[in-house]
Amino acid sequence: MTRLEKPALTAFVWLALLTMPWWMNAIGGYTELASRVLVLGLAAMALNFLLGYTGVLSFGHAAYFGLGAYGVGMMIKFVVPSTPLGMLVGVATGTVAAAVLGLLIVKLRGVYFAMVTIAFGQVFYFIAFRWNSVTGGDDGLTGWKRQALDLGFTQVDLLGNDRAFYYFLLFVFALAVGAMALILRSPFGRTLVAIRENERRARFLGIPVERHIWLSFVISCFFVSLAGTLYALLNNFVDPRALRWDQSGNFVIMAVLGGMRSFWGPLVGAAIFVVLQDYVSSHTENWMSFVGLFFVLVVLFFPRGVMGILARRRATDATKEGA
Amino acid sequence: MTQRTTGGVTRRTIIKAAAATAAAQVAGPFVISARGDTPVRIGLDNPLTGTYAALGKNELIGCQLAIEQINAKGGILSRQVELLSEDSTSGDAGTAVQKARKLIDRDNVNFLVGNVNSALALAMADVAAEKKVLMVVPGGHTDAVTGTSCHYNVFRVCNTTQMEANAVAPTLIKNAGKKWYYITPDYAFGHTLQAGLEKACAANGGSKIGADLTPLGTTDYSSYLIKAQAANPDVIIFLPQGDDMINAMKQAVQFGLDKRFHLAGAQQELEALEGLPPEARVGTWVFEWYWNQPNNPHVATFVSAIQKKTGKVPTARTWFGYAATWTCALAANNAKSLDTLKMAKTLSGMKLPPEVSLMPDQAYYREGQNQLLGDLFVGQAQAKGSTAEDLFKVSTIVKGPDAAGTLAETGCKMQWPA
Repeated sequence: MTRLEKPALTAFVWLALLTMPWWMNAIGGYTELASRVLVLGLAAMALNFLLGYTGVLSFGHAAYFGLGAYGVGMMIKFVVPSTPLGMLVGVATGTVAAAVLGLLIVKLRGVYFAMVTIAFGQVFYFIAFRWNSVTGGDDGLTGWKRQALDLGFTQVDLLGNDRAFYYFLLFVFALAVGAMALILRSPFGRTLVAIRENERRARFLGIPVERHIWLSFVISCFFVSLAGTLYALLNNFVDPRALRWDQSGNFVIMAVLGGMRSFWGPLVGAAIFVVLQDYVSSHTENWMSFVGLFFVLVVLFFPRGVMGILARRRATDATKEGA
Repeated sequence: MTQRTTGGVTRRTIIKAAAATAAAQVAGPFVISARGDTPVRIGLDNPLTGTYAALGKNELIGCQLAIEQINAKGGILSRQVELLSEDSTSGDAGTAVQKARKLIDRDNVNFLVGNVNSALALAMADVAAEKKVLMVVPGGHTDAVTGTSCHYNVFRVCNTTQMEANAVAPTLIKNAGKKWYYITPDYAFGHTLQAGLEKACAANGGSKIGADLTPLGTTDYSSYLIKAQAANPDVIIFLPQGDDMINAMKQAVQFGLDKRFHLAGAQQELEALEGLPPEARVGTWVFEWYWNQPNNPHVATFVSAIQKKTGKVPTARTWFGYAATWTCALAANNAKSLDTLKMAKTLSGMKLPPEVSLMPDQAYYREGQNQLLGDLFVGQAQAKGSTAEDLFKVSTIVKGPDAAGTLAETGCKMQWPA
């Protein structure tokens, strides 16, 4: 694997993202739905950094997602009304927490790793849920709003202008995804894939496996807490459900749905998940059953997700033409 | 792997295009046609799943009946009215906010109605204020909605928690005793309801001897009940709602607490009493609306209309939904406009007509707070009444203005746009 994805596909994804507010409205969506796709897509891609490229399943990423969200919310509400500063604090909170907790869990593998990440995630959930005076408890953190972005020469109104906020999100998303792709292309990224493919062999080659997994966990949590800050800004609101295990589960579903061996897979998965949820829940109160059914079908018949279907087709075609 | 050099359309491309087209069909539920043809739209963003599903569905039924009546009487500004209902979930404010934006941005609703959960109602009110859409809260009780977080375009049908507390406190002190122990759900509604009761209790010479906060969705109340029992109060106050209320009361009666203490609370609903076994239908409570109002022909008409629709009597929730939807229609028709500011000005101070108000005194929206002030029904839960659905015996009717306190006490500083 010399490239992450074909350049044509990458170009197509960016074109689609750049024009999303237009076609989303045209096909019956709305700008905020496009924004949600971006934010949850970033979160799922961040999880996939660990799941798809390092081969470690975390079921507690919502904790860092939520920490980012609470970080930005509390910063804007209690300290300084500044969007970028709030995001900085949110991301720092999530990343530091991940760095500390990561040390405790990197030695675990497989289902044990997943269980312990859930456990730590629930710790944060219950803190946010019960600590009413600070976090607002079950009511969530209200009474704050994302602030206009001061660029020095001009002000960008993020609150009133949906499109401006979408492109702000897209800008942050692009930086994050670009950084993620660079890391994955670096020797460090290759080493992670080596660990995923054969951990014992990597260890015999002298790779400090635990340190690499820890780093991968921290990087992944850095990006997921960034997504968390964006999610909070999107809703102008944070509630403890952003930290709960079912939110972590949703990220895993998005990654698996889209295809966890593909760089863009989780974004596709997030788009399908968000649009499906939005669409089906308008028509029936049992929308969760449909999302669940769809997930089961994908896992049963297309274990590599939606992007896996496309990739497999490409591979068969290539073999045919090669012969 | 050889590089393919030939151009042209391959089978794969066609399949991809077909898949993309199919996906676009799924993603595009509505294509909005010209605005002039569209009916007036009321967007209901309320729980249909989770703890509050039963309450949300009853509000929905009330809304539907109101829509039928409004359309039969000529609609809003001679246009037909359409109800769009979205599931907000019972506790996920992120979803509730998303659905509110969806209704406003995509479906261009003229009115937003919701939510049963107070926290979600507050979050939605922020969206309504931001988007300048007239919003009516049918059944989210926390004080802030028409108190510290009030907005000129957000109106509320159900009572504030403080009003419920003020209504029940004097009866409870007189009949049951002065030492109260609270079992309170741990979110906005519970907190303000307990605070309101503490205030009303102290004003009537009572005192609080203990309290426990229980998370939403608690199923096992035994540890809280044991603590309450040990504190030896005169009254144990139950503030959870929905399924939580059913679990708490059932367990309290299993423990035999009803024999030793007076069990009571502020807000009680027919949905919860129906869910309880007959022996657990005990205690002093407030109903915000009750279907059994003898000698009120309007109420009788409403009850039979709902019975025809569902086979059951309406609950307070049904009435909330009904009154909230009618409020939208009355606002637009009286203001002769769908402009939010004009409708809000018309609504503030407006009396609901008797066929909508459906209580002994005509309810009205208090100016400066946008809170509906109607009657509150204080009384006792009963195992069996005149009919199988008559589970509450009204002993006192408290007038809304008497329970509401002064405008300054509500904490609402109404800001009208210039």
